[in-house]
Amino acid sequence: MDRRMFLRCLGCGAAVATASQTELVPEFLGGLQNACAFDFTKELSSVQARYYKKLEGGGIECTLCPRHCIVTDLERGYCGVRENRDDVYHTLVYGLPCALNIDPIEKKPLFHFYPGTTALSVATAGCNVNCKCCQNWEISQSRPEQTDNLDLSPKALVDICTHRNVPTIAYTYSEPVIFYEYMYDTAELGHKKAVKSVMITGGYIEQKPLADLMLQLDAIKVDLKAIREDYYRNFVGGKLKPVLDRLVQIKKAGMWLEIVYLVIPTLNDTEAEFKELAQWIKTNLGTDTPLHFSRFHPQYLLKNLPATPKKTLETAHAISRAEGLEFVYLGNVAGHPAESTYCPACGQVLIERRGYRIYQNNLKGNHCSKCGREIPGLF
Amino acid sequence: MSKVVVVRYSGNGTKKGLSRPAYGVLLTAGMRALSGEKEAKAAVRKYLPSGVIGIKTNCLVRTLNSTPTALAEALSDLLTQAGFDENDIVIWERTNRELKNAGYTLNAASFGGRCLGTDTNGVGYGSRFYSSGEVNSLVSRILTDMVDYNVNLPVLKDHSIAGLSAGMKNMYGAIHNPNKYHDNNCDPFCAHVNNLAPIKKKNRLIILDAVKVQYNGGPGYVSEYVTYYDGVLLSDDPVAVDRIGLEILEHLRKANSLPPLEKVGRQVKYLRSAQQIGLGVADMQQIDVAVLLVDKNGRQTVGELF
Repeated sequence: MDRRMFLRCLGCGAAVATASQTELVPEFLGGLQNACAFDFTKELSSVQARYYKKLEGGGIECTLCPRHCIVTDLERGYCGVRENRDDVYHTLVYGLPCALNIDPIEKKPLFHFYPGTTALSVATAGCNVNCKCCQNWEISQSRPEQTDNLDLSPKALVDICTHRNVPTIAYTYSEPVIFYEYMYDTAELGHKKAVKSVMITGGYIEQKPLADLMLQLDAIKVDLKAIREDYYRNFVGGKLKPVLDRLVQIKKAGMWLEIVYLVIPTLNDTEAEFKELAQWIKTNLGTDTPLHFSRFHPQYLLKNLPATPKKTLETAHAISRAEGLEFVYLGNVAGHPAESTYCPACGQVLIERRGYRIYQNNLKGNHCSKCGREIPGLF
Repeated sequence: MSKVVVVRYSGNGTKKGLSRPAYGVLLTAGMRALSGEKEAKAAVRKYLPSGVIGIKTNCLVRTLNSTPTALAEALSDLLTQAGFDENDIVIWERTNRELKNAGYTLNAASFGGRCLGTDTNGVGYGSRFYSSGEVNSLVSRILTDMVDYNVNLPVLKDHSIAGLSAGMKNMYGAIHNPNKYHDNNCDPFCAHVNNLAPIKKKNRLIILDAVKVQYNGGPGYVSEYVTYYDGVLLSDDPVAVDRIGLEILEHLRKANSLPPLEKVGRQVKYLRSAQQIGLGVADMQQIDVAVLLVDKNGRQTVGELF
């Protein structure tokens, strides 16, 4: 499908957009096959990966994420979307998104990044961890052969944004680290067309690729899944330490950063953990780093647990504020006062939110309109 | 005791793999020996009583060292001789691309001997998660919905992570997320993949192709580490047949001056784990190994494992 055809398809989705404000196409394109004339491709890409090294005696070592998968000929890494072919490592998902949608930036959530704007959300199949609570497991835990993929080059994505006046591309839903090359090239091209890029990630990436990538990004949201190593081992399939290291790296690089912590009953919801989390952020990232506590809903492999009680979220909020964090939010509790942004100095409501909608914006540039206090972020 | 029959072909002087008739001779002799039945039909029916029969191949390495089409066809012949309708035989793999590249002719129609990948339109993976240990996977609908019983038809080879790729490892091709289960030499994941309910229930027979063996450098193809063992292994115990396959693999490595898998960080630990969860027998003392030497006319003599 060429770009013109794709944009025509987006046009046919515009009726949906009118009805639901922002949604142009379903997040997972599989449901769209009978509704719109999208062409899907069964072909996988064969673009050389940028972070790996060849091993003596054959095979490669992937150096993109902390897993450092050793991959021999015709095998794939843990992510399922990178394959060794004659000791050349390839990404199989370059230009092959399986999810595409225009979302409010608040949905990411990024609350201090051009509030009220939209982002073209893009994802491919695959992930480098396996969170038992994953809400997008149908794509994140699949291989690219198992998803319905569009053939959309970086240029096509940027063109969608410029034609639809979407200011930002969000690499999201699954784990953008695993489609690094596609994300990097799209972000680089986007900047040339004044389209911004944000990465919504678990932060499980090595130092060097992240440093290189940040040159092309405008903001990063990291899902910090817990503050305990054993949680990462048992429920994520990864390690906590590299994620903490990357958070510090992001902050030191001056990249805009927000953190989400999904609160799961019985697994990471003790007051001690909330306190430990807040103290770590305060010490290592600063009190001005926004922290979002998000409500868990049972799904994927954790259907046996209940949704997070609102009271638990409020406890997490109170502890974090008491520890000195200035911007603490609650997510997936539409209508809660803690969805809004308040001035840490005078308490004025700066941005009033309900769900993903903004009802008031009392910022003057980057400052509180009442007391003049500077508010961190990109507004 | 579990039984494993090893049938070796005595006439393969050309070192080019075996023909369909030659495989047919091996399979007939092997099924008789495994089942104790005199007739091939009764031998087959002992393990595959009725219904639709799946044949799970391993087509990772194109035509270089995948499950030979000649073997799958010979098995189909044996099944039809045993009274199965060819419409009730399904040769399958995870993707059509792999089948095609290995020389198979796809047929996803509802008639004729079928041959298809799980990625065929309208097939895919089921919506139910099956769990065992740390393994949580969706299973190919070919296995869960289309077939009543399955014959696992893998290739014996070295594996760069697991150490051994044989029958149990081949079932990674039946789940949607195999890439998640390679840590720690695939242990205990490989055992638990085979303990997933549909796999454990429907896998009735394992026929391990060991005619051409990649004894090092697998699971890809490295020509300098290929040799010919000229045999197939048959069993209804998925652990025991792999255990004997491992013995052969280690023997071939030693014969070619390579160290044991354990010495190169690829100890095959998942067999022991499989025994511990009751999937079969990994202990050599509890495996009855019968080795037959068969010529192209089907004449049998007692053979040796090495």
